[in-house]
Amino acid sequence: MQSDTLLISPDDLILITGAAGFIGSRLVENLLDGGYRNLRCFARPSSAGGRIEALSDLHRDRARIEVFKGNLLSPEDCAAATKDVAVIFHLAAARGEKSFPDAFMNSVVTTRNLLEASLLHGCLLRFVNVSSFVVYTNMQKPTWRLLDESCPIEKHPAQRGDAYCFAKVKQEEIVTEYGKKFGLPYVIVRPGYVYGPGNEGITGRVGIGTFGVFLHLGGSNRVPFTYVDNCADAIALAGLKQGVDGEVFNVVDDNLPSSRQFLRLYKRSVERFRSIYVPHALSYGLCYLWELYSKWSEGQLEPTFNRRIWHSYWKKSRYSNAKIKMRLGWMQKVATQDGFRRYFEACRRRVQSA
Amino acid sequence: MLKVAIVGCGKIADSHASQIQRVKGCEIVGVCDREPLMAKQLYERFPVKQYFSDLTTLLSEAKPHVVHVITPPESHFDIAKICLEWGCHVYVEKPFAISESQARRLIALANERGLKVTAGHDDQFSHVARRMRTLVQSGFLGGAPVHMESYYCYELGRSGYAGALLSDKNHWVRRLPGKLLHNIISHGVARIAEYMTSASPQVLAYGFVSPLLRGLGESEIIDELRVIISDEERTTAYFTFSSQMRPALHQFRVYGPKNGLVLNQDQETLIKLRGPRYKSYVEKFLPPAMLAGQCLENLGTNLRRFLVKDFHMKSGMKYLIESFYRSIVEQTPVPIPYREILLTAKIMDAIFAQLPMEGSQPQQRLTSAVNTLVV
Repeated sequence: MQSDTLLISPDDLILITGAAGFIGSRLVENLLDGGYRNLRCFARPSSAGGRIEALSDLHRDRARIEVFKGNLLSPEDCAAATKDVAVIFHLAAARGEKSFPDAFMNSVVTTRNLLEASLLHGCLLRFVNVSSFVVYTNMQKPTWRLLDESCPIEKHPAQRGDAYCFAKVKQEEIVTEYGKKFGLPYVIVRPGYVYGPGNEGITGRVGIGTFGVFLHLGGSNRVPFTYVDNCADAIALAGLKQGVDGEVFNVVDDNLPSSRQFLRLYKRSVERFRSIYVPHALSYGLCYLWELYSKWSEGQLEPTFNRRIWHSYWKKSRYSNAKIKMRLGWMQKVATQDGFRRYFEACRRRVQSA
Repeated sequence: MLKVAIVGCGKIADSHASQIQRVKGCEIVGVCDREPLMAKQLYERFPVKQYFSDLTTLLSEAKPHVVHVITPPESHFDIAKICLEWGCHVYVEKPFAISESQARRLIALANERGLKVTAGHDDQFSHVARRMRTLVQSGFLGGAPVHMESYYCYELGRSGYAGALLSDKNHWVRRLPGKLLHNIISHGVARIAEYMTSASPQVLAYGFVSPLLRGLGESEIIDELRVIISDEERTTAYFTFSSQMRPALHQFRVYGPKNGLVLNQDQETLIKLRGPRYKSYVEKFLPPAMLAGQCLENLGTNLRRFLVKDFHMKSGMKYLIESFYRSIVEQTPVPIPYREILLTAKIMDAIFAQLPMEGSQPQQRLTSAVNTLVV
């Protein structure tokens, strides 16, 4: 990156929330590799900070890495953590949380606390909000059409039946609101499915194992994978590049495999298991029936499967990373083939140790 | 139309809002949380008229007839008291209060004002719990219960709440006298309280931090508890709370002079235990066949209820809410007698009073507790 296009100097203070997490720890590494020498890593008191501490030891002579243990629900912790900070990379999220209030609290209330704290100090140059592809509605878009940053986001996120989607849509809303109301400079990054060692699960976009057998729902769909290092690189650029305030960037890798290709590779490289392919028309019909039943039965079954979630997860779509390449100069550093090789190795180790 | 308000918009608020909207003749006129964003998110997802971040504003503007208090337990007393003073009936989530003395004061205030209160012991109103109650009332046990066993377990590993609690030394659960136990065991204790007749049973409690939690550096969250309760030497009960035993049971067993009953809350099954024995080898063959028949009968009942959309996970809560509202509208008795609410609180007080302070040795504590009981 050319230094004249950068927002901050290497000595400016950067705050990373969720720094001990899957993407956060890679982002810290990425920033250190980029020459940034003043990092504050926000982590929960219970977070295993081994990776951050190892990085801190490794860069002891060249960088100052402060591990800030705290709770983003505490305005006092947020105020202390954001003091003198030039850029915030906000990655902490309530991923995997099934409860709407908990997901909301750990994504939206925490984000509001950080934004408020940033306003208090008045020194923030950019707030990078790490969101997700789940915010896109994909409802009105015809099959196979391109899903990019111009696509609409979910207007009724509560109806998706997915607490994470609800929380992420609301989180983006509050960031945008603070941007408009208080002129707070922000960028939103929406990664697709971030994979790599440390996240060895199979994305629900490929299929689900909820009912005792793996139902393969993706079929010939392209899956919007992004390897964790590539994603961290994109997030870093979104925080450091000048002139992109208020913009949204999708992050997906090139040469995306189809769901079927991925599953075949996974079975060949990691472990064999039985899966049943559910054609798109059938999965759509089943989701619709589930939705109707949930409504008729007054929630006897939660609307976990419904048409909105089908459109978001299992509708055939194409994805683009043209904007992030053009505006931020992002390039995929880890090739998709290499990414999958490392990921499958990690999956194999996990299976063997289980 | 009964006007209902919810105070506290955390995780359990979703269950309350979902079940309230299934009850006919009521509407949610307001929700309140001191964090306005939390109140707003609940308001946006359910048919709610207004949201508030201040309790008195909710009470003065929305004018509810009933308030559901579902905030962390340490605030139950103060909030319920304010609501009663404003003339509202109050449904308080479990634990009803953090001590028997607080529970007594709330009930006295409600009586004084001609209002009603109930505790969120909704497990006691699930289909299977109601079937058990009907059988006990019909004399199936052959008299008053001789002995009861209540298991209320909790899988720490499956809960995000546990993660938050263990990682946060300032978590509100840690401020409760009984900490984790205080927030969880009342369902299991209330089942015992229902069938105890004495107002002051003897309680012998033994609790400790599990090896798993100790290994994680935890020293103050007791997650293993065994209790013996004795009702003037007529009826006895064992209460077990465990985060480690598997399966993580939610069971209640009650044995009378003639027969017994086993309620499995997780599977919603009720098994009748026949007192008399058959002769010789018949005892080896006929009871197992009868047990298989009972299991099939339970399966049939559950399936039938599911098919007629009457098998919601929180069906007990809906029944309790409905019964409580009916008791208000029709001036009939409350679904949970105040005696049971007070006894539950009293047993819990007695349990927590015996639990170890940080650093003492479990065996010493047990010996000391046994000596106390013998003396």
